[in-house]
Amino acid sequence: MMTASTTTAGHQAPPTAPPTGAGDRAHLRVSGIHKHFGGVHALRGVDFEVARGEVMALVGDNGAGKSTLMKVLAGAHVADAGTFHLDGQQVHVGGPKDAAALGIQIVYQDLALCENLDVAANLSLGAEPVRPGFGFLPRLLRPIDDLRMEVKAKRAIDQLQVRTLKSVRAQVGGLSGGQRQAIAIARAVGADSSVVMLDEPTAALGVAQTRQVLNVVKRLRETGHAVIYISHNMRDIFEVSDRICVLRHGANVATWRTQDTTPDEIVVAMTRGLEKEVGRAG
Amino acid sequence: MQDSAFLGMSDRLRILRQSRFGAFAPVLFALAAIWGYFGLALPLWDYLTTPEAQNLRLIFLSPRNIYNLFMQSAVIATLAVGITVVLLLGDIDLSAAATAGVCAALLGVLVLAGLPGWAACVIVIAVGAVMGAAQGMLIAYVGIPSFVVTLAGLLGFQGLMQKILPTGNLNIDDPFLRGISRILVPDMLGLAIAALIVAGMIALSLRRQHRRREAGLEQDSPIAVWGQIAMVATLLFGAVLTLNAYRSVPLLILLLVAITAALGWVTTSTPFGRSIFAVGGNAESARRVGMNVRRIRVAAFAIVGIMAAVGGIFGASRYGSVSYTAFAGGSLLLESIGAAVIGGTSLFGGRGSVWNAILGALVIGSLGNGLDLSGASAADKLMFSGAILLLAVALDAVSRPAGQGR
Ligand SMILES: Nc1ncnc2c1ncn2[C@@H]1O[C@H](COP(=O)(O)OP(=O)(O)O)[C@@H](O)[C@H]1O
Ligand SMILES: [Mg+2]
Repeated sequence: MMTASTTTAGHQAPPTAPPTGAGDRAHLRVSGIHKHFGGVHALRGVDFEVARGEVMALVGDNGAGKSTLMKVLAGAHVADAGTFHLDGQQVHVGGPKDAAALGIQIVYQDLALCENLDVAANLSLGAEPVRPGFGFLPRLLRPIDDLRMEVKAKRAIDQLQVRTLKSVRAQVGGLSGGQRQAIAIARAVGADSSVVMLDEPTAALGVAQTRQVLNVVKRLRETGHAVIYISHNMRDIFEVSDRICVLRHGANVATWRTQDTTPDEIVVAMTRGLEKEVGRAG
Repeated sequence: MQDSAFLGMSDRLRILRQSRFGAFAPVLFALAAIWGYFGLALPLWDYLTTPEAQNLRLIFLSPRNIYNLFMQSAVIATLAVGITVVLLLGDIDLSAAATAGVCAALLGVLVLAGLPGWAACVIVIAVGAVMGAAQGMLIAYVGIPSFVVTLAGLLGFQGLMQKILPTGNLNIDDPFLRGISRILVPDMLGLAIAALIVAGMIALSLRRQHRRREAGLEQDSPIAVWGQIAMVATLLFGAVLTLNAYRSVPLLILLLVAITAALGWVTTSTPFGRSIFAVGGNAESARRVGMNVRRIRVAAFAIVGIMAAVGGIFGASRYGSVSYTAFAGGSLLLESIGAAVIGGTSLFGGRGSVWNAILGALVIGSLGNGLDLSGASAADKLMFSGAILLLAVALDAVSRPAGQGR
């Protein structure tokens, strides 16, 4: 364990050691997260944290549980066990609305856009602004303020500088992969969010569009967001991240400061875990 | 001939149907083709080929026939409007006609027992809502596919209707109920309402454009805005003037339009309606943004139940009787689903409009009416309806945006 504790920062597995990285100023911290899908034990006591103004990369082999952890943080799955802390306060996330209310937003791997709706409708999905003056109606039956929705959408899109998108009234079904990715990110950022999670945002993108997404990620860090970035591309990860958290078989391997590690070390941790390294070292 | 015209335009239709009001184009085109064929082409052919014919007889396009056509299509349209709502979710309701039958039968029994007509209507609409919501719960909470639940509903409600109406037939004399289809809106009032609707549309569009300009948003193209208003105005005044030329606008038609307008507004302009489209487009993404997908499903099925009950009331009023074959046992179900789909509502969910269902019902009604007038057999009618339905679904499949489904 000596080798590990000197090179890693933040949580380790088992998660008894106090966090040494950005731990004391962590914005969102979860610990002991368990999640079962029927017989599959997808998350086995995962600890995770991210600070404001930081990009935390989350890596691991396919099936390691990265997406599941994101969904638990976003309230799309409810954890079987585990605790959430936001700025040191214990909070409860029992559903997507809870997470959104806490400012936690996710850009799903599959983007989760409605292709039959236009860009503006997708950006406000589930939180449509309604016109004032219809208080006698239940909220679900009040008229949507589509102008406000469009203005909001335009602002979010402009912020990300998606120049190729001509109109926020275009149907999402007719847009390119990069444009959809940008819209999904804009949806997460547009809602007053403090934590933005991106699940393999560049997997389906070309070089130029990947660059655009990486720039967006950096801009999010500058604006004080806590960013969680999942990717398989080591070059991208080492370019944008401040720390790297490795998951394997649904459990933490360790967390490194990006400047203190190398792609090779991360790949080894992803595929073989820490034990063998430690074994060799010790 | 009609077919090749359709196929040649399929590319343009795909683009059209994705625009906001372009979804009307195919069904309007189908309607125009059918009316042109039965109303003009066929009489002209008869006139030219039969030497003894004295003059051109335009029976199909006579105000009297159009009036009957509207009344015949009204029950189909009512059910189709309801079915559209569940089709938007990507579900289907096979039990709508049987629900309408049960509600109509119950209505007959209640007024026979001495209940006032309006009270019977309220009860029957509540029963329809419960019947729909119960099926919706089985679909949403138990997770049985809507096809299976409503197929069971179809069978069960057919039986239930026979239980309520052991003789299979019941006359309705209640003046309130008969009034729904007998009362006519005075000619001038009908025109005034049409004018008011058009004026309202113009005012809303102008205000909207003004607000868009103030908010610094892109303007709608004037051609689209005024084209849409001109289209609605033409359809509206055309319908009112034609109905006035024979009798007047029946109250039943006015009610149908009012209900459809309300439902159209709910589905396109409220968070609830938006959630229906979202669930139909991508149920998982709707769930992830925190929409209560199950409750939305139950509500949608309750709406079909309500519309089925209203259809039952309309039918009972128009026929002056309730019979098994007119509702549960007849072709009403397939005609209403056909009307919704011909109207351009996608069977794959997420695309469509309740207004289109009314146009779709007119297509189905016109086809039946025209074939009747030209002396076609019941067999011809069935085969024609099948072909039109297939064409509509093919159009739906072809005009789906690339990458969706498949
Ligand atoms: N909805 C689900 N139902 C059942 N099993 C799931 C579900 N989501 C994920 N899993 C399982 O959980 C494990 C982790 O999956 P995931 O989080 O998607 O991995 P990653 O994103 O790291 O590739 C896998 O074994 C996967 O099969
Ligand atoms: Mg994944």
